[in-house]
Amino acid sequence: MHYKFVLMASSVLLLSACGGSGTDDTPTINGNKIPILSIANIENDITKNQTIQLAATASDKDGTITSVIWEQTAGLKVLDEPISANTVTINLPPALSYAPREYAFNVTATDNEGATNVKTVSFVARNSMDEFTAARLLHQGSMGPKLSEIRKAQGLSEQQWLESQIALPIEYHRGYLVKSQGEDEFRYINRIDGWWKATLRSDDQLRQRVAFALSEILVVSDANSGLSSQPEGMVNYYDLLLKNAFGNYRELLEDVTLSPIMGTYLSHLGNEKADDALNIRPDENYAREVMQLFTIGLEELNQDGTAKLDAQGNTIATYGQSQIEGFARVFTGWTFAGSETFKRKSRDYIKPMEAFSEYHSSKQKTLLNDEVIPEGYGPEESLQIALDNLFNHANVAPFITKQLIQRLITSNPTPQYIERVANVFNDNGNGVRGDLAAVIKAIYLDDEARHFGSVLSYQGKLKEPLLKTVQFWRNLDAKSLEGYYRTWNMFDNYGQGPMRSSSVFNFFRPDYQPAQLRDDELVAPELQIAGDATLIGTMNEHFADLVWSAAEGHNDLNSSGLYVYIKNDMNTLKKEGINTLLDEYNVLYFAGSMSTDTRQALLDLDAYFDDDQYRERVSYLLYMIAISPEFNLQY
Amino acid sequence: MSINRRQFLSLCVKGGVSAAALTSLQLQALTGSANAVELGDYKALVCIFLYGGNDSLNMLVPLEGEQRNLYEQSRQNLAVASPIALNSTTVFAGGVGLHPSLLPIKSVFDSSNLAFVGGLGTLLAPTTIDDYKNKTVVLPKHLFSHNDQQASWMYGREKQSLNSGWGARLLERLDQQDQFAANISLDGTNLWQTGSQTKAFALNKSGISKINAFGGYQPRTDHVTNIMNRIMGNTQHPLSSAYANSFKSAINNTQAMNNALETAPELITSFSETSLSEQLAAVAKTISVQSKLSTQRQVFFVSMGGFDTHDDQLDTHPALLSTLAQGLSEFDSAMKELDVADKVTAFTMSDFGRTLTSNGDGTDHGWAGNQIVMGGAVKGGDIYGELLTQHLDGPQDTGGGRLIPQVANEQYFATLAQWFGVPRSELVDIFPNLNNFDQTTLDFFV
Repeated sequence: MHYKFVLMASSVLLLSACGGSGTDDTPTINGNKIPILSIANIENDITKNQTIQLAATASDKDGTITSVIWEQTAGLKVLDEPISANTVTINLPPALSYAPREYAFNVTATDNEGATNVKTVSFVARNSMDEFTAARLLHQGSMGPKLSEIRKAQGLSEQQWLESQIALPIEYHRGYLVKSQGEDEFRYINRIDGWWKATLRSDDQLRQRVAFALSEILVVSDANSGLSSQPEGMVNYYDLLLKNAFGNYRELLEDVTLSPIMGTYLSHLGNEKADDALNIRPDENYAREVMQLFTIGLEELNQDGTAKLDAQGNTIATYGQSQIEGFARVFTGWTFAGSETFKRKSRDYIKPMEAFSEYHSSKQKTLLNDEVIPEGYGPEESLQIALDNLFNHANVAPFITKQLIQRLITSNPTPQYIERVANVFNDNGNGVRGDLAAVIKAIYLDDEARHFGSVLSYQGKLKEPLLKTVQFWRNLDAKSLEGYYRTWNMFDNYGQGPMRSSSVFNFFRPDYQPAQLRDDELVAPELQIAGDATLIGTMNEHFADLVWSAAEGHNDLNSSGLYVYIKNDMNTLKKEGINTLLDEYNVLYFAGSMSTDTRQALLDLDAYFDDDQYRERVSYLLYMIAISPEFNLQY
Repeated sequence: MSINRRQFLSLCVKGGVSAAALTSLQLQALTGSANAVELGDYKALVCIFLYGGNDSLNMLVPLEGEQRNLYEQSRQNLAVASPIALNSTTVFAGGVGLHPSLLPIKSVFDSSNLAFVGGLGTLLAPTTIDDYKNKTVVLPKHLFSHNDQQASWMYGREKQSLNSGWGARLLERLDQQDQFAANISLDGTNLWQTGSQTKAFALNKSGISKINAFGGYQPRTDHVTNIMNRIMGNTQHPLSSAYANSFKSAINNTQAMNNALETAPELITSFSETSLSEQLAAVAKTISVQSKLSTQRQVFFVSMGGFDTHDDQLDTHPALLSTLAQGLSEFDSAMKELDVADKVTAFTMSDFGRTLTSNGDGTDHGWAGNQIVMGGAVKGGDIYGELLTQHLDGPQDTGGGRLIPQVANEQYFATLAQWFGVPRSELVDIFPNLNNFDQTTLDFFV
């Protein structure tokens, strides 16, 4: 908390103005000049949790000032009663929510004749994040924060940081896609290399994190599929998620639906109308998954994400076979853009798909909520109507926002949290539905995410294995001399990789509940990929990265090997000692949640080494942090 | 049963189950009086899960006559053109043809180590087409949805508030849940092996998982390990505690498994380089050191993806079946080589069968299908259950060629469970819908 003196520049000006001119325009009442009152300027950027002073200067041309009284007229009470003083000291309370707080005061000067002059002073106090709250927000809102990013965010409000992130230009991944030397074509591994570069280097970290979350909801994958030979198309799909991350969900849904990558993955590309003679009917794959996974889910939901029940206490299915068949008809007639004919395909995996009417089913199409597209509608019209029908279903808000909250903030959001965000999905305040920027802000600024009020004992989520490595690599400048990030074995090391799920159901399901959490009725989706083999794989990867691959430990670097650079941490250790380094790690890796027991364990770990074994000391500290339960929780 | 009364009652309350509604097995668990089962010889079940919904009706197709005509009319361009005639003990009208890509398992079938079980699917009670149309029988929830139907196969019952896989339930009934090596997955976490007290040990398909941090200079390793053990205890948070517990058991179990696997004999049987064969090779290797793992029962889970053939089925499905048959045949050889063929039963499960109609070049999510069961204890060379007539708009078609199963998958599971050692009288405790069927088990074991 720091003390702030408020300047009184304006009153000086006022006085000199009065003295300098011959005329006196001070209002009079019954021949008595009212008091002259001025209030010192206050800073235009005031933060909560500090003490400020408000100062008034009063004088009277034809008498004396008998009182100056301050009285609060708006905002959380900081002046219990009117105070008689020229200067009042105000303790602005700490933040209890993200929202800026408005204050207003009246100051009244009275002269010896009883005449008064009243002025109003008002200001807004915003939050100012300390290092721990900034670190926590950035753990939630980036791919893995760097210390420099946390330091930059310190002192900003949560809202300011989010808005500044949302305003940043988009770092598309296609700019990072480069061919391997001597290769004519892009390969799968070039896409992975590009993902690492964009993830490690980009400044628009919030967008990158939201797009990564979307890639686990609107799933496509080139694992075990022909799409592994379409890295450009795959990158373009990821870029589509980046583009729409703060856009509108309706547009995102349309871009996803018409993506030739999605069309290939869920087989609606090349899907054609029925041929009754050959017992051929439209492919139902996309029709089913766009409902089950991308928009509404299987069961009707309340706005707070809980299942609606019928009179018998059973859940209510959102759709049946007639809707599947209706939507399957909608998604007929579409193929690669620029194709000569429906069958002579262009194989353009970048541009949105285009339709051939003659392959589109013009039959009647049953949609949700008893809506029907009558016979005779063409592919484009049908698609618009059908996507509007999906997008406007009441399930979309709770179904999608709950999953976003789970991917970004906490595995077990309260129904109230889901409902607050779902309400924003339905209406951003300006009557717009599906505004993702508003939804994302609502997710991050919610009391439950920000720990305002009482914090739930099960708040937070386990970090995704891949993102743990991302944070170390971002901070430790991981790179190879050749400049490539060719991580072939992501599945063994992490149980996941970007757009590498083994099915459209993602690496883990939102309702995955390990036996240990049954009694508490909690879910932990990320634990679905924490099988023994993967846990050992991740642990081995951390050890290899942080202990074996510290560049400082090698005289000759292998030109294709990936190394981390721990020089900065070694210097901190050397110059400022172990406690300073652990303080820094507590901010950077634990967002302030390093317990005294963990700290002591790290000190004891460190004590094994000789003082000047700086490299080994840093490596082992980082490795132990990487596997520690406290680091593994995004709290 | 190590679960205590308080825990159990708390589970009951959360599950909305009143004590009066408990089955005899649950009551035994509650009172701690479950009869211990005499286990006798070692036995293992190997579940091969075919993710995506295998078009398993196309594994066995008619060869001639009316059956063949109906089949070809229904399946059109996706009809299997040149099936291999199969000599099944049970004779079927129209004959039985094996998909040519399954050739590698024909000799296993002929040597009576492999059988098919036909017409299987998720069912809560016998269901006719009229029942289906008039809704006079309760149907399984979320038919035709991948993850829900996968879950039903793995739970061996409908989803409920306290879910557990039937593989795990077998181990818990046979008191094997405390042996980590009783429950092994080559494909990470899965519902079939997750119970209230057990989850699978996830083995890497390459077998031994070396732990990097445990190499090097021993005093340093010991120090680092000590600190690691301490730091794993430093959390009260339920999620990070769950992580820490998983982590600790991963290390302990991996070390124990590595020690055992280091003594494994080199097999003469060679396995292909497909993921399925690699997984089955790791299962065979683990079985070969079974005596060192102090467990009398083991369940294994391996999997194969790619069966969701909405597209290019004429190319992809034969390739998948060929990989499957190759893996099965190799595993059969390995079990014979280890002289445990009659102690190990492998069987398939899949989300669902597929539609008889096509969407041009693929099929969509269906219902009934066929499964494969293999092992020395199996009465092979035959087809059990029912071989459905592949008849679009026929008496078992709910529409589009999604056929109603004639045998419940719980009957299939109960048969495997009984062979594994669960007393016949308790099968219904593990598979609650069995009560709705006349027959509890099928007759495919010797």
